[in-house]
Amino acid sequence: MPVFKTPFNGYSVKFSPFYENRIAVATAQNFGILGNGRLHVLELSSNPALPITEIAAYDTADGIYDVTWSESHDSITVAAVADGSVKLYDLALPPTSNPIRSFHEHTREVHSVDYNPVRRDSFLSAAWDDTVKLWTVDRPTSVRTFKEHAYCVYSSVWNPRHADVFASASGDCTVRIWDVREPGSTMILPAHEHEILSCDWNKYDECIIATGSVDKSVKVWDVRSYRVPVAVLNGHGYAVRKVKFSPHVRNLLVSCSYDMTVCVWDFMVEDALVSRYDHHTEFAVGVDMSVLVEGLLASTGWDELVYVWQHGTDPRAS
Amino acid sequence: MAMRDLITGATSCPDPSASSSSQNPLGSLANALLGSSSKNQERLKEIPTSTSTPSASQFYSQPHTQLPGSEFDKPFLDANSQGSEFLNRFRSAGAGGFDETWDEIQGDGNQLRLYDGRGQLPPQLHQPTLDGTPQRVLSTFLHSFLDSSRGGIPFHPAPLPVLGLSEGDKQCIRDRSSIMARHLFADKSEEFIHAQVNALLSSLDIDSNVRGKGPMPERHRELEDYWNESQGNLIQGAHASDGWITEFSQNRERYDNPDAWANSFEQQHGANGWASEFEHSQLSSVDQMRGMNMSNIAAMEQTRMLANTLAQNADPKFQNSKFLQFVSKMSRGELIIDDNQVKESALPAPGDWATEYQQQYNHGDAWAGEFLNNKAYPRAGPELWANEFATERQQNGAADDQWVDEFSKLHVNDWAEEFGQQIGEGAFGEGSSDNWAQAYDEFLNEQVAAKQRSDSSRGVYVFSDLNPYVGHPNPLKEGQDLFRKGLLSEAVLALEAEVLKNPENSEGWRLLGIAHAENDDDQQAIAAMMRAQEADPTNLEVLLALGVSHTNELEQNAALKYLFGWLRNHPKYGTIAPPEMSDSLYYADVARLFNEAAVISPDDADVHIVLGVLYNLSREYDKAIAAFEQALKLKPQDYSLWNKLGATQANSVQSADAIAAYQQALDLKPNYVRAWANMGISYANQGMYDESIRYYVRALAMNPKAENAWQYLRISLSCASRNDMLEACDSRNLDLLQKEFPLQ
Repeated sequence: MPVFKTPFNGYSVKFSPFYENRIAVATAQNFGILGNGRLHVLELSSNPALPITEIAAYDTADGIYDVTWSESHDSITVAAVADGSVKLYDLALPPTSNPIRSFHEHTREVHSVDYNPVRRDSFLSAAWDDTVKLWTVDRPTSVRTFKEHAYCVYSSVWNPRHADVFASASGDCTVRIWDVREPGSTMILPAHEHEILSCDWNKYDECIIATGSVDKSVKVWDVRSYRVPVAVLNGHGYAVRKVKFSPHVRNLLVSCSYDMTVCVWDFMVEDALVSRYDHHTEFAVGVDMSVLVEGLLASTGWDELVYVWQHGTDPRAS
Repeated sequence: MAMRDLITGATSCPDPSASSSSQNPLGSLANALLGSSSKNQERLKEIPTSTSTPSASQFYSQPHTQLPGSEFDKPFLDANSQGSEFLNRFRSAGAGGFDETWDEIQGDGNQLRLYDGRGQLPPQLHQPTLDGTPQRVLSTFLHSFLDSSRGGIPFHPAPLPVLGLSEGDKQCIRDRSSIMARHLFADKSEEFIHAQVNALLSSLDIDSNVRGKGPMPERHRELEDYWNESQGNLIQGAHASDGWITEFSQNRERYDNPDAWANSFEQQHGANGWASEFEHSQLSSVDQMRGMNMSNIAAMEQTRMLANTLAQNADPKFQNSKFLQFVSKMSRGELIIDDNQVKESALPAPGDWATEYQQQYNHGDAWAGEFLNNKAYPRAGPELWANEFATERQQNGAADDQWVDEFSKLHVNDWAEEFGQQIGEGAFGEGSSDNWAQAYDEFLNEQVAAKQRSDSSRGVYVFSDLNPYVGHPNPLKEGQDLFRKGLLSEAVLALEAEVLKNPENSEGWRLLGIAHAENDDDQQAIAAMMRAQEADPTNLEVLLALGVSHTNELEQNAALKYLFGWLRNHPKYGTIAPPEMSDSLYYADVARLFNEAAVISPDDADVHIVLGVLYNLSREYDKAIAAFEQALKLKPQDYSLWNKLGATQANSVQSADAIAAYQQALDLKPNYVRAWANMGISYANQGMYDESIRYYVRALAMNPKAENAWQYLRISLSCASRNDMLEACDSRNLDLLQKEFPLQ
């Protein structure tokens, strides 16, 4: 399957929810420690033998740590920028018109953005200033700021069923569950003993959430009984950077790690590790599963490479 | 944190080098590389517009040329002699090394070409300037520099301005690498991680001073436990598969305000809930304190451990990881970047990290110094922990860790050596990092125990014994007079007599709070101020004071609450503050209201003061300084305002300016203990320890109860190698100290 080389270190990759062959990639220079960022929008050829082409690229003055596609407009992406800004890009407009929005409220690096898949009118940003902010495209300022975490918030993701519910994963070793109609968090999951870098909701059971932590484990939780995890998935050799549930198979999730691998897990079976992909030569920090093509995976890492491959095949085989 | 502001330089950290360097090609090359000038532009256009129309047209104004790095065009393409010389040199010096590394890693040169196939890119993306070149230059530069310095290839200083890291860049490197290091070295102890980062930073000559986000993910463990306990009670009923959200929503009502934490604690701890929160936060401050001490001391030795750690991972992928090579080489001190000069490194001088330590210990106290003590919101971070730690030590002397004492007694210059020996002996070797953690846990437990014992007494105003003013016919008047004369300690007594007589006298409590604050006794000050607010919830000055104190703690919500309260209750501006807003206060809204207020009456110094405080909250120090300066134009005689200005300047790393501002405050109010102490801090921050000692001694001579100042004095004595006077400090022998350190 094809590979794309980004000039900067990859940070995040996301499949478009509208086009099966389109992905957005967030990158940052110098491992995201210092320098510029670039958002790539890439198109996969229908013929796997042909290379990935770039439709657009947008530069920012600081690294881009995450990207999410709008659920309402097929051409809009939202970028989480390390300078604390959240920027919107519209592919339909010329590069000179982009970004179409730049929201600068976070006081620290924005580490994740997530578009609401149910209401489709709003998105979340999670930042190292310990807050999560709720935005809509048409408002100049954030709608709300959720500030309860005591340390960097690395990720915030909407519940796929409940339009107003989301989870946030933080370096304070907790995941918080929020309902935007409520003034504060509804629940705290003390999910790990170490920083939690990522979380994601199961797409089939709205009470199941997966967390990935610096403690190298992925844990799966049922928010109705938060004291004991449903499953603990061990196998990564370093911190787990991102977890993502499959949109197609209830018990399947994918994770990527500082151990440079991407792992696919079935959390309901005893021998949970389904596959381990060892294709990256630097930390694997971004992974996604296509909603439109079952089993299609994409990953990116600090080796500046974006891989797209079908689950079960070798990402490097081209 | 305002790291971005620092980088952009637009708001808080004017970087003279950025503007001046853009005058020359090399400078603009540097700007291009680091994107600094374009960041400025970007910053401007990033100010959120107030329009709510979704039309994109208003965003069309961004010229293409403002893309970051596009100014790189000129020097690069013009083959300016200087610039190209740099490039050539740099290429000859190190690009090859990098390429090799890259090839090794990739094992397949073809992959490189994937990107180089630029013909595939849409034409509008054809920017030779941006096409990876700056990235390559910088990245290759870093890598190749390391290689060249190792291989003994002379590295020319000429390219160095190109890399010259601005304060903001350093800040970026510092903050981000520390956060990343925590992800990477998960199985290592806190101390180890701190040490790794500090090793890297000291190699880069980046001081790990205060504004960064202290990595302390576990600092709220205790708090979470309380929260979970209370949540646990709510959760115990079985939930239908779909009903949990609703149920939580219902249960949430008990915690339905932003102070939910506080409520939760009050339930746990009764009326002193907030005090216990204070305690816990202090614990975590101590936590960080220790981590940092450890890391600074251990930095040099720990660099070797880093190399070991990396070497231990047999995975060839890790051995080849560019990132890990980058970190490890940096950590070995093979690269120093010092004020736009990259130097081949000598061993880090012991003094370097001593200075860092000093700065960590002292620096940010400026704001803390300004007002009441800090209930230490956990994010207050390094700015406040020094202060708190000082207090902490005093109060829990018995539980205090011996190591800290030992550390203080060591000669600064011998310090590293001794520590090195200890490491050599295995006392703190890598294998024993667990021991450290364990010992530290014990320390924490002791602290917790000590806290629990003293919980009941915290946050409660403690009256002096044997108060001669009790029974005085008009203690308030007397107190006001004494306060005006600058006899703060006496004024405190008189005001105590007043509030004993009239516990509901808000003004008495307020004055008492201010007297304590100016006398550098924060704990009493905040206790008094809380009582003042109880007695009169609408007192503007009290609201302002509490707003400031919460700002000190970076406790934004509480600060906004009080500052908004100030606006609400102000006769002139009450109308522009919609009461319904108080339910959900956002920084941007409150700042906007105050800016409106400033438009309504530009001559109201108080509005500018609040704006200054608000900008401190968002760490837009330049704006804060401007606001305070504006206020000072209207109220040039307000000594506390001068002190605020000084503290803000100190926070924005303008210690020299800060000293001038403090001097103004002292000219107006010679007995302003706090300003004397702040002055000492600013001198210490500049490495002028002799001067700092004199100011601390002066402050202490006026109020020997200023515990923080004793702590700072001790550090400055150590740093100035005046260990002979440490005993005088420990025994609080002010006579001797004053004789030894007279203030000219």
